[in-house]
Amino acid sequence: MNFGRDKLTKYGLAATLVIAAALPFLSDNMFLLNLLVLMLISIIFASAWNLLAFTGQGSLGHAAFFGIGAYAATLIAVRCGIPPFVTIFLGAAVAAFIGILIGLTCVRLKEWFLAMVTFGFAIIVQTLTVSVLAPVTGGWDGIASPRLISPSIPGYQFIEYYVVLVITIASLAAIWYIMKSRIGLAFLAIRENELEARAAGVDPVRYRLLAFAMSAYLAGVAGALQIYHIGYLTPDLYGVNNSFWPITYVILGGLGTIAGPVIGTIVLTIIWEGLKETGLTFGRYVIVGFILILTIIFLPKGLVNLPERVQVWWKERGRKGSGARPQRSVWWFF
Amino acid sequence: MDNLGIFLQILFWGLYAGCIYILLATGLNLIFGVMKIVNFAHGEFLMIGAYITATVFFLTGINPYLIILVSMLALIGIGAVVERLCFRPILGTGKLNEIFLSIGLIYIFQNGAAMIWGDSWQSVRSPYDGITVPLGPLSVPLDYIIIVALTAMILIALYLFLKKTKTGMEMRATSQNRKGAMLVGIDVERIDVISFGLGCALAAAAGTLWVVSGQVFNPYIGSMPAVKAFTIIILGGLGSIPGAIIGGLLMGIAENGAAFLLGGIWKDAVSFIILIVVLVIRPTGLFGEKGD
Repeated sequence: MNFGRDKLTKYGLAATLVIAAALPFLSDNMFLLNLLVLMLISIIFASAWNLLAFTGQGSLGHAAFFGIGAYAATLIAVRCGIPPFVTIFLGAAVAAFIGILIGLTCVRLKEWFLAMVTFGFAIIVQTLTVSVLAPVTGGWDGIASPRLISPSIPGYQFIEYYVVLVITIASLAAIWYIMKSRIGLAFLAIRENELEARAAGVDPVRYRLLAFAMSAYLAGVAGALQIYHIGYLTPDLYGVNNSFWPITYVILGGLGTIAGPVIGTIVLTIIWEGLKETGLTFGRYVIVGFILILTIIFLPKGLVNLPERVQVWWKERGRKGSGARPQRSVWWFF
Repeated sequence: MDNLGIFLQILFWGLYAGCIYILLATGLNLIFGVMKIVNFAHGEFLMIGAYITATVFFLTGINPYLIILVSMLALIGIGAVVERLCFRPILGTGKLNEIFLSIGLIYIFQNGAAMIWGDSWQSVRSPYDGITVPLGPLSVPLDYIIIVALTAMILIALYLFLKKTKTGMEMRATSQNRKGAMLVGIDVERIDVISFGLGCALAAAAGTLWVVSGQVFNPYIGSMPAVKAFTIIILGGLGSIPGAIIGGLLMGIAENGAAFLLGGIWKDAVSFIILIVVLVIRPTGLFGEKGD
C-alpha cells in the first residue's frame, strides 16, 4: 500500500515536471506563457508562506517580505549595476534579514497576536516606502526595474519561463530537503506541542526564527522574480491582497504539505482565469471567498487530502448511520 | 492658548474616532469572551452596517440617527447566520482556522458589497451638518456630540443587558466557564449565536456613526478599523470590555495626534507601531494573563 503510493507520487512528480517543461512548446500563446510565469512565482510565494506555517505560525503580512525582496533587488540592481540574476538573491537576503528582525518580535506571540503583528508590519513597511523612503523608492508612483532577461533577446519569454521554473523547482526541493531533515522535524514538533518540543531539547525560539528567515527569503525571491518579470514596481506590492493570496492557495491545496501550495496555486489560478472569461469582476473574489470557507469547513486538509477522503467515502458508502436523529427545537437552525 | 486649542481639538477628534473603535472592540470582546474566537472580518460588518444605513437613508430620507436601529437589527441577523454557517463548524479546530475563515469572509463581504453598491466612494449628509456648539475654547460640530452620546447610550444599554437580563447573565456565565454553563443547563450554542449577533450589531452601530459623521465610505473601509480594534483589545486585554473602552479612546487620540504631528499617512502605521512595541515588552498584551 505504502509502496504503491510512493510509486504513484514518483510518477506524478515526473509527469508534472515533464508537463511543466513541455508547456511552452504546446502553445505559443504569449498570454499563457506570461500566466504560467506568474503562476510559478505564486507557487514559490505560497510555499514560502507554508514553510512558516509548518511551525504553526500563520502570517497575515507576507506581502511585506515579497515587497521588500522586490524593492531591495531592484534598488541594488539599479544603483550598483549588478545583474538581476544576482540581485534576486541579494534582495531576498535583505528580506530574510528583516524577516529575522520581525521574527524576533513574533517568536513569543500566540496565533492572533502574530497575525496582527505581521499584518501591521506590512502596513508599516508600505507607509515607510511612500513617506520616509520615497526619494529612493519613488513613493506611490513606483519605479521601473530591469528585466530578468532583456526583451531584446529573441524568445526571451521562453528563457524567462525556464529560469523561473528552475528556481521554483529548486525552492520546492530545498523545502522538501529541509522538511526531511532534523530542522523539519523540529518545526513539526514545535507546531504540535511546544512544551514537549522544548522538553526534547528543541529550542522553539531558534527554530521559529529560522523558519521566519527562510520563509522571508523565499518570499523575497518570489517578489524579485515577479518584479523582474513585470518590469515595474509600486507600493501596491505590500497590499493586503498580496498577503492573502498565498494563504488562499495553501489552504485550498493543503496546509502543511509540500504539494499543497503547488496544487492550490494551479487549481485556483485555473479557476480564477476561467472566471475571468465570464466577465465577473468582484464576483470572482466572492467565489474565491466561498471556496476558501468551504475548504476550511469540509476539506480541512485541502485538495491533497481529497483522494483519501474519496476512498474513505467509497468504503463507507454502503453503511447507513443508525444513530438517533437529533431533537429539533424552535432553535434547530441555530 | 493656540496650542491648547489644537490639543483640545485633537482630543475631541480622538474622542469621536475612538467611539467607532470602542463599538468595534466591544463587539469583538463580547464574541471573544463567549466563543473564544477572533473574527478578523469584523470590520466588514461595520461596512455592511454603513451601507444599510446609507441605503435606507437614500430611500426614505428619515433621520440617519434613527436608522441605527434598522442597521443593528439587520446585522444581528447576518451575524447569526455567519456564526451558524461558518464559525460553528470550525469551533475548536484550531485558532489558525478562524483566521483563515475570516479571510474568506473578508473576500465575500467586501466584494459582495461592491457587487451590490459599487466600489466608488459615497457619503451621506447629516441633517445637523454645519451646526456647531461652542464648548469652551473650541466649537464642536453637533454631530460629534450626538455620536459620543449615542455611543455612551449603547454601551450603557449593553451593560444593563449583560447585568440584568437572563440572557445577559447566561452570556456572562458562558464566558466565565463554558463547560460549567452547559452543566447548569445553558444552551451555549444559542448563546454563541446571540453574542455573535450582538457583536455584529455593535459593529453596525459603528458603521452608522461612520456614515452620519459625513465620512466617505466604500466597500473596503472595514478592514483598517477592525484591525485597529484588534490592536485595542490586545492592548486592553482580550475579553475585557472596560479595557476596550479605555483602549479605544486612547487609540483615537494617539492616532489623531500622530496624524497631526507626522502627517496623515502615518495614521494607520502608528497604531501598529504601538502594538509591536507593547507586544515586544509584554507578549500577552498589557492586561493579558501571563503565560498559557
